[in-house]
Amino acid sequence: MALAVDHFSRTYRAASGTFTAVDDLSFAVAPGEIVGLIGPNGAGKTTTLRSIAGILRPTAGVVRIDGHDVVADPIEAKRRLAFMPDEPHLFEYLTVAEHLRLVSRLYGVDDFDRRAATLLDELELAGKERSLPGELSRGMRQKVVIACGLVRQATTLLFDEPLTGLDPIGIRRMRNTIAARAQQGAAILLSSHLLHLVEEVCSRVIIMDRGRKIADGTFEELAARADLATAGSSLEQIFFRVTGHGA
Amino acid sequence: MIAASLYIVVCTARNRVRMRLRRLREPRYLAGAFAAAAYLYFSFFARLRSSARGRRRSGPAAATALVSAMRAAAPALVGLGLLAVAALAWILPFESGLLAFSEAEIQFLFPAPVTRRALLIHRMIRSQIGLLFGGAILGIAMPSASGYSRLRTGVAMWLLLSAGKVYFSGVSLARTTLGSRDARSRRAAWLPLGAIAAAATIVAASLARAFVLAPATSTRDILDRIAAATSAGAARIALWPFAALAQPIFAAGAREYVAGLAASSVVLAAAIVWVLQTDAALEEAAAVAAERRAADLAAQASPYRASRTGLTLALFGRPEAVFAWKAATQTLRGVDRRNVLRMAAIVVALTAMTTTAGRGASGVRAVAGTFALAATAFLILMAPQVLRVDMREDLRHLEVLKTWPVRAAAVVRGELVWPGVVLTAAAWTALAVAEIFAGTSALARVPLAWRAAGGAAIALVTPALVFAQLAIHNAAALLFPAWVPLGQQRPRGLDAMGQRLIMLGATWLLLIVSAIPGALAGAIVWFALRIFVGEAALVPAAIVCAAIVGMEVLVATEALGPAYERLDITAVERAE
Repeated sequence: MALAVDHFSRTYRAASGTFTAVDDLSFAVAPGEIVGLIGPNGAGKTTTLRSIAGILRPTAGVVRIDGHDVVADPIEAKRRLAFMPDEPHLFEYLTVAEHLRLVSRLYGVDDFDRRAATLLDELELAGKERSLPGELSRGMRQKVVIACGLVRQATTLLFDEPLTGLDPIGIRRMRNTIAARAQQGAAILLSSHLLHLVEEVCSRVIIMDRGRKIADGTFEELAARADLATAGSSLEQIFFRVTGHGA
Repeated sequence: MIAASLYIVVCTARNRVRMRLRRLREPRYLAGAFAAAAYLYFSFFARLRSSARGRRRSGPAAATALVSAMRAAAPALVGLGLLAVAALAWILPFESGLLAFSEAEIQFLFPAPVTRRALLIHRMIRSQIGLLFGGAILGIAMPSASGYSRLRTGVAMWLLLSAGKVYFSGVSLARTTLGSRDARSRRAAWLPLGAIAAAATIVAASLARAFVLAPATSTRDILDRIAAATSAGAARIALWPFAALAQPIFAAGAREYVAGLAASSVVLAAAIVWVLQTDAALEEAAAVAAERRAADLAAQASPYRASRTGLTLALFGRPEAVFAWKAATQTLRGVDRRNVLRMAAIVVALTAMTTTAGRGASGVRAVAGTFALAATAFLILMAPQVLRVDMREDLRHLEVLKTWPVRAAAVVRGELVWPGVVLTAAAWTALAVAEIFAGTSALARVPLAWRAAGGAAIALVTPALVFAQLAIHNAAALLFPAWVPLGQQRPRGLDAMGQRLIMLGATWLLLIVSAIPGALAGAIVWFALRIFVGEAALVPAAIVCAAIVGMEVLVATEALGPAYERLDITAVERAE
C-alpha cells in the first residue's frame, strides 16, 4: 500500500481539558486509487490529513508512506508525499516560479524546467511566474499550492478541499488533473465537503464522524450495506444516513 | 464606549492571564516560567538589596561635584532629548501604533454606532497595560537606590511613555491634514508644528549663545552651561513641557516629586486634549488606517515587491542554503525605503548635533569613529533581537516547513545562516570604520598595537557572538512558541519596551553563560602567549574563544532538532 494508517489517534489539549479529534483510525490507499474522506465539520478529516503530512504528530498509531513511518523515518516518508492544504500557505516574498524552484530543490526534481512549464500551463498559471502571492487571487494561490505539490513525482497525494476558490473551468481542470495522477499510479486521499465531486472522482469513500471512521467502501458496497439499504443510492443520502442527520 | 473599552481591556487581560496560567500545565512552560522568575529576581530585585547595602556603605558624602552637576542638568538634558525627538517626529515617519486597529476592532467597533473620537479613546485605554508594564520594567531596571525610588521612577516613566504615545499619535494625525483643504483642519495641523519648530529654534539659539563665545573646558562646564542656558528666559518656557516630563524622574524629595508628577500630568492632559481636538483629522486618519489595514489583509499583508534580487537558488545542494536564500530574498524584497530614509535621517541628525555641540569641523572624524564604535556594539549585542528573519518569523509558515523532507537540525541551522551573515558583515563594516577613525575617537588614548589586536579579536568573535544570540532566540521560538509573537502580531511602539528589555537581558545572560567556556580557554591562550607576542596574543585567544562558542552553536542546532520535530502547529499561539 502507498499509504497505510494504522490505529491512528490524535488528541488535543483544550481549555476544558483534552479532546480526541481522531480515535483509532485505520485505512489504506493503494497506488492508483482515489479515496474520498468525508464527514461533517469537526469529524477529524483535516487532523488526519495534517498528521499524515507530518504537520501534526500522532498521539497513537502509525502512519506509513510507501512503508516509511512518518514519525520514525520522516524524511523518506515526506519525500514521497505531496500535501495540498485547504488554505494556501505561501511565502509572501517569493514569486510563483521561485516557489516551484524551492520545492524542486527540496525534493530533488531533475527536469525542473520542463515540469514547471507543463504544470504552469496545466493549471493556467502561465504568465504569473513573476507574481508574488499578494498579487494573486485566492484561487490562483490555491493553484500555486497545487502546482508545488505536483511538480515532484510524489507517490501519495493528499488534497484538502482542493476546489476551494477555483472557478468552474479550474474545477473541471482540477478534476482531470487528479484523475490523471491516479492513472499514473499515485495514491490519492481527497477530503471535501463537495459530495458530488467525491462521487464523481473517487473510487472509494471513508466517512468520518466525531473522530471515528463510520463507513469505508466503494459506493456499491456502501449502498449494498444492510443498514444503509433504505437510505438511497446517492452519496449524499448515504452520508446523511450514516452521520445520523438523515430524514 | 469607555465602559465597552474597559470591558474589552479587562476581559482580554483576564483571558490572557488564564491562558498563560493554563499553559503552565505543560512542564516546559512551567520550567520556563520558573527560570524567568529567577532571572527577574536575581537581575532586578536582588539588586535592590545589594544597592541598598552599597548606599549604606558609601553614604551621601560619596556624591561628587560632577554627579551634582549632572543631577541638576538632568531634567534639562532629558528635556532637550525629548524636544529633539518631538521635532524629529514631524520629519521622520514614526508610527505610535495607536491607530493600528486590530482586525477584530475593525470588524466589531468600526460598524458600531460610536464616534471615531471614542475609538481613539478606546485605543488609548487599551495601550495602558503595555505602557504600565513598560514603566514598571524601566523603573525596576533603573540604577536606583531603593524600592521606593524605583516605584517613583516607574510611575514617572509611565507618564512619560503615555505622553509620548499620545503625542506621536497626534503627529500621525496632524501629518495627514497638513495639506488639507479645510482651513480649520490645516490650522490644527500646522499650529503644533509651528510651536515645536519655534521651541526648537529658541532652545537651539540659547544653547548656541552659551557655547559659541568660549569653548567648554570640561564635562562639568558643559553641564553647567546647559543648565544655565535652559533655566532662564524664553528657552526655559520653550523647554518646560519636555523638562516637566523628565522632572519627576530626577526629583530629589517627595515634594519636588509630587510637583513634577503634577506638571507631567498637565503635559499628558494637554497632549490628549490636542489629539482629541483634531477630530476632523482623526476621522480621516482612522479611516485611512482602517482602509490600509483592509487593503493589507486583502493583499495578505504583503509589504514585498516582486523585484529582481539577483539570487537564483541552485537545484541541488545543502538544505541550509535553501533557508538562507529564502531569508535573503525576503530581506531584499522587504527593505522599506522609508526605513532606510529614517535611518539615514537619524544618522545625519545625530552627526550634525554632535559635531556642532562638540569640537567643530575637526570633530567630524571623532564623531564618525565614536558612532561607528557604538554601531558595532549595537550590531553585535542588540541587532540579533531586532533582525527576525529566522524561525521567529518562519513559525507562521510552520505548516509548510513541516512537510519538507529536511533534517530538523538542518532546518534550525538554515534559519540562522542569513541573519548571522548579514549582522556579521554589518558589524565588521562598522568595526572597520571605527578602527579607521580610532585615532581621533574615544579610542584615541588606546595604544595602536592594542587597538589593532583588539579590533582583530572583536572581528573574530563577532560571528560567534551573533550566531550564539540567534541560536538563543531561535531556541526560545522552538521551545516556547506560544511566547513568541509572530510576524505582524509583534508588539510595537513604546508599550512593547518592557518586553524587549526583559528579552534583551535574558539573551545577554544566556550569552554570557554560553561564552564562559570560550572565554576561559581564550584567557588561557592569552596568558600563555602574551609573553612571546604581546598584545597580538589577543588574536589566537579570540580564535580559540570563537571556535568554542561556534561549536556550542552547532551542538545547539543539533540539540534543537528534536524540539523542532516535536513542535506542534497547535502550540503556536494565534493572536486576536
